[in-house]
Amino acid sequence: MRDFSYLRATSPDAAREAAALPGAMLLAGGTTLIDLAKCGVAEPEALVDISHLKGLDTIEVGEHGASLGALAKMSQVAGHDGIKSQFPAVSEALWQAASAQIRNMASIGGNLMQRTRCPYFRDPANFSACNKREPGSGCSAIGGVTRGHAVLGTGGACIAMYPGDLAVALVAFDAAVHLGERQLPVDDFFLLPGSTPDKEHAIRPGEMITAISIPASAAARRSTYLKVRDRQSYEFAAASAAVGIELEADGRTIRDLRVALGGVATKPWRAWAVEEALRGKVLEEDAVRRASLLAVEGAVDHGANHYKIELAPRVVARAILKTGAIA
Amino acid sequence: MTSQTTIHLTINGHDHSLEIEPRVTLLDALRDRLDLTGTKKGCDQGQCGACTVHVDGERVLACLTLAAQVEGRAITTIEGLAQEDGTLHVVQAAFLQQDAFQCGYCTPGQIMSAVACIREGHAGSDEEIREYMAGNLCRCGAYPHIVAAVRQAALEVAS
Amino acid sequence: MTIHDLRTRHGDASDGNADQVGGRLSRVDGPAKITGAAKYAVEQQLEGLAHAVLVESTVPAGKVHAIDTAAAERAPGVLLVLTPDTIPPLKTASDWFGTPPPDVPYCPLARDIAFSGQHVAAVVAESFEQAVAAAALVKVSYDEAPAIADLSDAKAGDGIPIDMMTKEWGEAEAAFAAAPVRICAAYNTPREYQAPMEPHGLIAVWQGDRLTVWEPSQWLDGMARTYAEWFAIPFENVRLVSPYIGGGFGSKALALSHGAVAASAAKMLGRPVRLVMSRPQTFTGYGGRAATRQTVTLGADRDGKIQSIVHRGVNETSMDGMWVEPLGSVTSIMYATPNFSSKQNVVRVNSVVPGAMRAPGENPSAFGIESAIDELAYEVGIDPLEIRLRNYAEQDPHARKAWSTRQLREAFAAGAETFGWSKRSAQPRSMRDGNQLIGWGVAAGTYPVRRAYGEALVRILADGTVEVESSSIDMGQGTYTILAQTAAESLGVPADNVVVKLGDSRFARAGVTGGSRLAGIMTGAVHKAAGAALDQLVGLAISDPRSPFHALQANTLVVSAGRIASPRGDGPEVSIAELLASVGADQIEAKGDTMPANSTAEDRYKAYTTIATPLSHTDGDYSRHSWCAHFIEVRVDEDFGTVRVSRVVSALDSGRLYNPKLAESQWKGGIIMGIGQALLEEGIVDRRHGRIVNNNLADYLVPTNADIPDIEVISVGIPDLHSSVLGGKGVGELAIVGVAPAIANAVFHATGKRVRDLPITLEKLI
Ligand SMILES: Cc1cc2nc3c(=O)[nH]c(=O)nc-3n(C[C@H](O)[C@H](O)[C@H](O)COP(=O)(O)OP(=O)(O)OC[C@H]3O[C@@H](n4cnc5c(N)ncnc54)[C@H](O)[C@@H]3O)c2cc1C
Ligand code: SF4
Ligand code: FES
Ligand code: FES
Repeated sequence: MRDFSYLRATSPDAAREAAALPGAMLLAGGTTLIDLAKCGVAEPEALVDISHLKGLDTIEVGEHGASLGALAKMSQVAGHDGIKSQFPAVSEALWQAASAQIRNMASIGGNLMQRTRCPYFRDPANFSACNKREPGSGCSAIGGVTRGHAVLGTGGACIAMYPGDLAVALVAFDAAVHLGERQLPVDDFFLLPGSTPDKEHAIRPGEMITAISIPASAAARRSTYLKVRDRQSYEFAAASAAVGIELEADGRTIRDLRVALGGVATKPWRAWAVEEALRGKVLEEDAVRRASLLAVEGAVDHGANHYKIELAPRVVARAILKTGAIA
Repeated sequence: MTSQTTIHLTINGHDHSLEIEPRVTLLDALRDRLDLTGTKKGCDQGQCGACTVHVDGERVLACLTLAAQVEGRAITTIEGLAQEDGTLHVVQAAFLQQDAFQCGYCTPGQIMSAVACIREGHAGSDEEIREYMAGNLCRCGAYPHIVAAVRQAALEVAS
Repeated sequence: MTIHDLRTRHGDASDGNADQVGGRLSRVDGPAKITGAAKYAVEQQLEGLAHAVLVESTVPAGKVHAIDTAAAERAPGVLLVLTPDTIPPLKTASDWFGTPPPDVPYCPLARDIAFSGQHVAAVVAESFEQAVAAAALVKVSYDEAPAIADLSDAKAGDGIPIDMMTKEWGEAEAAFAAAPVRICAAYNTPREYQAPMEPHGLIAVWQGDRLTVWEPSQWLDGMARTYAEWFAIPFENVRLVSPYIGGGFGSKALALSHGAVAASAAKMLGRPVRLVMSRPQTFTGYGGRAATRQTVTLGADRDGKIQSIVHRGVNETSMDGMWVEPLGSVTSIMYATPNFSSKQNVVRVNSVVPGAMRAPGENPSAFGIESAIDELAYEVGIDPLEIRLRNYAEQDPHARKAWSTRQLREAFAAGAETFGWSKRSAQPRSMRDGNQLIGWGVAAGTYPVRRAYGEALVRILADGTVEVESSSIDMGQGTYTILAQTAAESLGVPADNVVVKLGDSRFARAGVTGGSRLAGIMTGAVHKAAGAALDQLVGLAISDPRSPFHALQANTLVVSAGRIASPRGDGPEVSIAELLASVGADQIEAKGDTMPANSTAEDRYKAYTTIATPLSHTDGDYSRHSWCAHFIEVRVDEDFGTVRVSRVVSALDSGRLYNPKLAESQWKGGIIMGIGQALLEEGIVDRRHGRIVNNNLADYLVPTNADIPDIEVISVGIPDLHSSVLGGKGVGELAIVGVAPAIANAVFHATGKRVRDLPITLEKLI
């Protein structure tokens, strides 16, 4: 780690100001930033510690939805009664992420900002080519070890997978990211790599995530986050799905359906086609399995990650069936 | 640019003041500067749990925490768990009884994690204990005995 | 004349109270470990400690072209930058067989690159943070050469035949060709890593020409010898200290180049230097288990009786070293067969030289044969347990000697009974629970009894407490505890009164802690030393005129619970402390060893600092091995291909257990590492860079607590006095052997898919 200065922010405005200076970065839980600084990926000159700011860690759940302060800890949100009852998929995405210790440290603002686990990205000493780190340097992953890389939303410049869980649940339920005055739908907050994989978020210099809001919905109330991985715990997803369902009064016809995918795409991935195919249809296994295949329309593999194209629709199908209580 | 600063840490109820660079992690401050080597370094990357300590009563990883960040907070390490007279914490005693370790290197982290796991109310069943203790790797494979120790200690704490 | 009776009991695992051999005494080193008081080697706080960080090659083959150290040297706090040009040359040390080395200089920093991750430079600074930052500033350029990335590299070729590994009897090929039932399949295991939770590292300190090294070590005497030879100083001038070891699993037995770098730096600076590998560096700084390939062909009768086994194996080694992973070791002894042939090649690739990892050889070997026999069982339609019994080897088929003890039949019976094997439905895919396919698998394992020599010193102090000293070590197997029990039992004192001191090369010597040999050797040595100390104690009590027993004219006395009395209970009864006080003795000290009586000093040096003199496990009339049978249930998600182990029952024959509580822990630990091997662990190589890319604990997956179900272990051993003085056989490595095939067999039973490449990851099942 290169040496840096440390500043404890006294107010959100002071934090934004300090972080806007060249070489400065915000520090919340540090579980991404300190890790990447040790890898030599992040080389901050100054850290602006926002973890002591008061008032940014509130969790409010009301009839219109939830408002989560950016500094609320993953563990606090996961265990919050209102979140568990109104947004079960959000709670489940969180408690299945990382480890209990990391969830006690990590803020949900920082969580959205976590970076890919692409092994080439994380090892600059050994792999100099990485367009995400160094635009124009190339991509070491293509043609290399790709088992954990994305199959959706990729391009020739970068195939890195977005590893987070929470944002997958958020994108399913139309959550918004609050950047002080400005707010953006989560779906727009995350950018596709395109030809600029170094730009991952629609956040501007000097901006800070202050809160995340999630509108209430019947689909969010009946929701699940299903995470499939090699190891039972303490691992990122091989494929995951956030699903919410609202049924008609008949108890079998789908009125509203939300599906988002994790572990397979370059950003939290809303599976619009699956939702459309099933909306208005009777919830029944064959139809669900067929529609779930649409989740990976247009997917491109790079060899070792081919299995994700098989796996993701099955995870989606199971999540839908489970949420609809017919699996 | 070197930027030594003075920071004050409260560890196991004692105040310490240190002249260190801001980049020094809590883990290296404990192990290299304060001779509190009970907290272990297994990966230095947040991937093993060996460095688990409590900050304001909650379990966190010392390897991804800057020492400067926890100035003003109450830090508890494995050295501060037993009572001053040496009486073991129930979790420590349970680890010994259940033989919940072999080489002992992951053990301080396991114990700190287990104390918090019980306090959080995540020791309700074996399945829950396994999930909420999954952030502490043990290469010796003491897991079944760790589960037994946490289960035993949770019952003792409850009664 | 026997003047006392050593109350060594040879009963089953559960006998004895905690103070005796065989009792369930809790770890005596436990309190230090659970309170954080146990100081591991690199945790010593030394005045003036400087910190070293390694710089490693980023190419797999070629030459270092140039190293630019200017920026690093200017960096704050930097004391020294070492490169191949600036590190003083050392002498080449002998290998672990003690083979005299060539008289060429040894440079622990490489100019010629044989693998990615090789140490090429090092930075020493005042603080760890400064050293890390400065190391990143060292710029190395290379003249890169083509590399062979791994076994599947097209350039790898067939490799070098290792004739020593060839085992043949009968007419294996012909018998196979003639057999009515034939099975032939290839089984592969990837690079696997020991990944002990404590990373490798050391602190080196010089005082004149004396070197002290604080380093986690499975072999103090062997490592001390290497350091002494490197620096051309007498063996006695090197002190190795390793009080606790945070796991080794085979990886901490040898002094490695990073140790030479740290010791060189300490010498140059005249300061203590600490060097600890980063977790990623531990994947290339020393070798894990070599990747292996095996073909197993079985010819059998229609009733499943094996007629022939033809086995071919290959393992990878490095360009600059030789590692042979004996792949035919289990193949040649597990089942009776009239015809047999096993051969092995070794293929050079650009990797660090592979090393020992829990049950080297036996582990991958068992994956081959124990999968193959399962395939045969389905082929002939016989229960997988039954087919193993039909082919039971009544004697060692290779050595043609009687087993010293082989409780494998008992293990099968006990395991099957507890597991409920008889309720198994034979057809694959016939057991399910919702989306989960359930499978039951069985496999056997074995590990040879490796025997060597050890010494111990037993000292009875004036206050009646007892000290045991040995340069052997405890990395979690329980050496501290079982030696306390052995001394306690042999002397008749409570284990509480025994202090065991290990992990210092100044103590009585011991050979390598590996191959599950230490417990058998050291309990024997302590037993002898304690016996000699007791002889002295009782001798004094009887013969010293100042002794209260002098008048008794007895020819023997008994010591029990730390008190001395006559066997008939007449006359006085005093504590050891009182006796020593009465005769004016400060202490009693005796050494004991397991060496042949006429051994010379040279013999001893060789016995403890090399592995050249172990006793073969087939020495004399018997073939000595420990045995086990694993019964495992898996649940495979039909859609996702994820495999979870839901139940394990293992029955194991390690002979007599010195402490069942601790042996059970080791067994379970082995089984858990086997679960990791079966389902998760694999070093993944980027072929273009010849480099492991998952070199950390988030990407090289080892099991977490959530991956492990309750595990039931059953001891079926009986004392085996051909194997060790007190009747134990190996414990530590046995239990991992056979776990991976038991799981692969269970996965086949669950899914109907035979996975022959470890690990069994989800993409192989969907
Ligand atoms: C071993 C390991 C396993 C993990 N497993 C998972 C997993 O399974 N699933 C999962 O979802 N995550 C996982 N994570 C990632 C973890 O959840 C994130 O590291 C964490 O959520 C980041 O939050 P933080 O507060 O620590 O962020 P920090 O590290 O403090 O910050 C991360 C980045 O966000 C910026 N930032 C922080 N706060 C703000 C803000 N308010 N506004 C603008 N920018 C900000 C920082 O400048 C920095 O660039 C894992 C991490 C580790 C180390
Ligand atoms: S996939 Fe993206 S992050 Fe990974 S090496 Fe390529 S450009 Fe870098
Ligand atoms: S040392 Fe902190 S998690 Fe491993
Ligand atoms: S006891 Fe050795 S790693 Fe857990």
